[in-house]
Amino acid sequence: MKTKQEGRSLQEEALEKLRKNPVAVWSAILIVFICAVALLAPWISPYPFDEQYLDQVLAKPDARHWFGTDSLGRDMLSRLIYGARISMAVGVITALISLVIGTIYGAVAGWFGGFVDSGMMRIVDILDSIPSLVLLILVKLIFDSVDIISNPELKALTGMLLALSLVSWVSLARVVRGQILQMKQMAYVEAARAMGASGLRIVSQHILPNIVGPVIVLLTFQIPSNILSESFLSFLGLGLQPPFSSWGVLANDGWRSLKSYPHLMISPGIAIFMAMLAFNLLGDGLRDAFDPQMRGRSG
Amino acid sequence: MIARAWGPAVLGLFVLAVVMSFFNFEISKWQWMLNGVVFFGGAVVFTISRGMTFFVVKRLFETVFVVWMIASLTFILLRVLPGGPFDSEKALPPEVLANLAKKYHLNDSVPKQYLDYMVDLLHGDLGQSYKYIGRDTSAIIAESLPSSVQLGIYALLISYIVGIPAGVLAGWKQGSKTDFAAMFLAISGVSLPSFLMAPIFIMVFCFWLGWFEPALWEGPGYYVLPMVVLGLRPAAVIARLTRASVLEVIHSDYIRTAKAKGLDSRTILFKHVLRNSLIPVLTLSGPLAAGVLTGSFVIEQIFAIPGIAKHLVLSVTNRDYPLILGTTLLFSVMLVIANLVTDFLMAVIDPRVKMI
Amino acid sequence: MRLMVVMVLVALTAACTGKSSHLEYGLDVKETMRVNLLSEPPTLDWSKATDTTSATVIFNIMETLVNYNLADPELPPIPGLATDWTASEGARIWTFNLRKGVKWTDGTEFIGQHVVDGWERMLNPATASEYAYFLFPVKNAKAFNAGKIKDFKEVGIKINDQGQVVVELEKPMGYFPLLLTHHSTCPIRKDTVAKFGDKWTDPKNIQTLGAYALKVWDHDKNIVLERNENYYGEKAKIKNVLAYMINEYSTALNLFESGKLDFQETIPFKELPQYKNRPGFHSVPSLSLWYMGFNVRKPPFNDVKVRKAFSLAVNRKQVTDLLNGGHTPLTSWVPLGMFGYEKEIGTKFDAAKAAAMLDEAGYKDRTKFPKVSLALNTNENHQRVAENVQAQLKKNLGIDIQVVNEEWKVYLNRLHNDTPSLFRMGWLADFPDPDNFMNVMTSYSDNNYTGWKNKHYDELIEAAASSLDKEKRREIYKEAQKLLTETEVPVVPVFSDVRPILLSERVQNFPLNSINRWILKGVSFK
Repeated sequence: MKTKQEGRSLQEEALEKLRKNPVAVWSAILIVFICAVALLAPWISPYPFDEQYLDQVLAKPDARHWFGTDSLGRDMLSRLIYGARISMAVGVITALISLVIGTIYGAVAGWFGGFVDSGMMRIVDILDSIPSLVLLILVKLIFDSVDIISNPELKALTGMLLALSLVSWVSLARVVRGQILQMKQMAYVEAARAMGASGLRIVSQHILPNIVGPVIVLLTFQIPSNILSESFLSFLGLGLQPPFSSWGVLANDGWRSLKSYPHLMISPGIAIFMAMLAFNLLGDGLRDAFDPQMRGRSG
Repeated sequence: MIARAWGPAVLGLFVLAVVMSFFNFEISKWQWMLNGVVFFGGAVVFTISRGMTFFVVKRLFETVFVVWMIASLTFILLRVLPGGPFDSEKALPPEVLANLAKKYHLNDSVPKQYLDYMVDLLHGDLGQSYKYIGRDTSAIIAESLPSSVQLGIYALLISYIVGIPAGVLAGWKQGSKTDFAAMFLAISGVSLPSFLMAPIFIMVFCFWLGWFEPALWEGPGYYVLPMVVLGLRPAAVIARLTRASVLEVIHSDYIRTAKAKGLDSRTILFKHVLRNSLIPVLTLSGPLAAGVLTGSFVIEQIFAIPGIAKHLVLSVTNRDYPLILGTTLLFSVMLVIANLVTDFLMAVIDPRVKMI
Repeated sequence: MRLMVVMVLVALTAACTGKSSHLEYGLDVKETMRVNLLSEPPTLDWSKATDTTSATVIFNIMETLVNYNLADPELPPIPGLATDWTASEGARIWTFNLRKGVKWTDGTEFIGQHVVDGWERMLNPATASEYAYFLFPVKNAKAFNAGKIKDFKEVGIKINDQGQVVVELEKPMGYFPLLLTHHSTCPIRKDTVAKFGDKWTDPKNIQTLGAYALKVWDHDKNIVLERNENYYGEKAKIKNVLAYMINEYSTALNLFESGKLDFQETIPFKELPQYKNRPGFHSVPSLSLWYMGFNVRKPPFNDVKVRKAFSLAVNRKQVTDLLNGGHTPLTSWVPLGMFGYEKEIGTKFDAAKAAAMLDEAGYKDRTKFPKVSLALNTNENHQRVAENVQAQLKKNLGIDIQVVNEEWKVYLNRLHNDTPSLFRMGWLADFPDPDNFMNVMTSYSDNNYTGWKNKHYDELIEAAASSLDKEKRREIYKEAQKLLTETEVPVVPVFSDVRPILLSERVQNFPLNSINRWILKGVSFK
């Protein structure tokens, strides 16, 4: 079966496969572009994102404001560019947090098995069975009302990251646990065990490298779903603190005015759509490249 | 043997109920109770009949435990959440607040409130709503659940009806233009928040084409848009999953053997590929139902559907503790049962599942 | 079999499939006024209702002792169930003559005891009515509500030998009849309530006196009202009212556009330009107030100069221009449209003076000014105003404040327990008398979050409340408002609200009024 060294070469092979998949490559390029826009926001945005031009409220797209202005006369393009920052940050950071928690949790449960496993899995069951809507709202509200962080924008962002991570790490934990359960029974792991290698060593040296593939794939799907969840929180009125903008905040600001001010909805809509498309297509590509057997497991 | 009778029975009852509801016939309490008993009881009996009594009992106990933990967790979160049910724009004098606290036992210690709540819960009493004065939580649920269930079923049905054929077709013709188009549509389906999708649909189908009603929940013409918008995401998920699963089956040894034996491709598709590839789709039904429940809030809000998802969110805003607990528990129980039944069926289909 | 299984799984949720939804309850569009209530009324029990949605329904099915003349902008009281009233002992004792021959929907004759029953029920501690305090001016009412007095006979309401309702108050109160325009003071049928308990407001149980009767209450969906043929006054012109409960305004506007609504009352300011020039559009001023309060217990706002500087630095006109909906800029505490409103009262915008005032307060070096946030509850419009105020303070005073919003209940909780140094709040009139507004800032008011206490102000408010002399009251309120908004400045009034309303083209004689009481009995179709 696969050893660590083979695992490496497996990953190289996967990269090679990925490179030959034009859809995945274009998606990756788009993602890099979005990330670049997010990082370079202060330099490339034409106006400050929170400057109100009260004489140009709700302007339609024109030469001055390419994407028009919002109800306080703020430039939509600039808000969109800055919004990329927050949306991507929420997507990526939440995915990373849930990755760390999920991997450790799943690995511990899977490795120890028995009572530890069933106890830990009941907790997962509970989190899985509470409607995530309620959990999201309650956790977000509770966090927002605690005065740990004095900066309101940072506080809202942290609350959102926490709430989203709390509902999204569970699926990662399940996958990692399943993989570990499978691998525990494989010959080389049992051999290592028989030779007296410690559990930690086996997990970190033999098992974790082998589940990198599935985890990366899951991660790629987790990011867009976090971006969607962020917009959902905005819809619920639990999004970020204005004047800060994210794509979710902008989309929520715009959807009611599709008839009267379509530009308010269309630009954030397209931004979200493109990002989702890119991440999902890249995820598909990665999945095909890493392990054709994994297809479809993450949905 | 039981399975032979059980499947068609559930299916028949179900199809009858859906058709009746779509055309606005009243469906009696008995009918849906019968549906539930046949369905859930059948699954249990069926699983036990396969010699898995211990598994069934164990899972049932675990389920009760999970539901109890959810009730407790929600209860605790609510007490931590600042702001009370009677904080209002116009502050109330202390005398009035005292009367309210007395009426709703808000001055009791938290452990006592918790115990009282659990005892009531065991008696099947969810308490009275704080916001909707004088109405029982269970009555509110009973009145708002049907529309939501109706919406959810329509959405899930449409997602299966669209998703499975699309996925099979795409998988069967892997690499073709059909495949590409189907998958592109499927990914598009998950790429836009439903609150952006809904206004576009309303704009196109109500105001440009004039085919459907923009909102409300009064008959077939009103059902179509909400169910399509809500069903879009699950349909996309199902299509992608079915495709992947079909591919996996096609590349498996026994299909290769069948092909080598010279069986015609139609037979292979319908007899072997389809059957085997739908199992993973089946396992996804639980999470899918959960997704539909969560998503239905947006749809109910935008289409003004008198459903229960709205209460799930509004009750938190109103700090209507009994209603939050009631709706949360209801949703949890529905999810738990969905998962439970999936587990039973999977255990029967694939005995190895028991370990996981 | 496995294919079966897939269907079966779907059937899980099918275990309970929906009941049918009625199609418009067999109503005829030509005889039905279709309105949007915005949400499910929490209750139709008028002793317990506290919100505007419930009130709108209740005012159409129930009758109060005293009504407003909705045609007069000052909304003077006119006879309702009471035909006339007299005050004695300097407005401490009030005697009401009741209308004869008024019948409940079941044909029972309306009598004075029903009024007493209504008040007893409302004040009964076990009822736990939130608006019980409305009757606290009545003698011993507060003690009875607090459970200190057990016998309702000690409370100051009696029926005398001539069948008149005699109310004895704790102290004189010149505007007392206005309180009886509120739904919580309506008479009640004790027998109905006793018989049906919490279910007495169900359409089949409820007994009412109004121009419409409750026919259907399909929770979260519709309410149907039907003309009450037993009504004592002129009968309702339109036979039915069909009320929807749509709280998503874009949805409601979509329905209005497709001709399914006759009345919609929430239009966000963003959409106003689209509707402004339509024939059915009305912008109705509302007796309300949007203000910012200071927490005067803590620096920097314990210094009156700082408070004045802030008040001087806000250009109200700019705020209302931004809102773009015909809101009235406000510097006084009593809003436009109410007796006691004086345009000239209050600190007027003056940027130079504001900056000088702040210098004088010892903050010549602006960097020394403490970090301050403006707190508000999460709401699109509040946010917009707050951000504009933020920009104005920066420009006119050179001070950076932060805008912090919180969810409504979290926010209320904070106001009570840990009042922010600068916060936004509002007030909506319960009845059209300045006392309703002025009372908010008294030292004993539960709604005064600022911590500002002024004995002279309290005395002025009490003197005005007990007086029957309109001119004297006007003078007192003028003095009190000057004290509040010019001398002491614990609050910065910013604007008073308007309600944008859409009526379909066939609607006539809709009673537009500033207290948002939508009584439909006089409405007719073209």
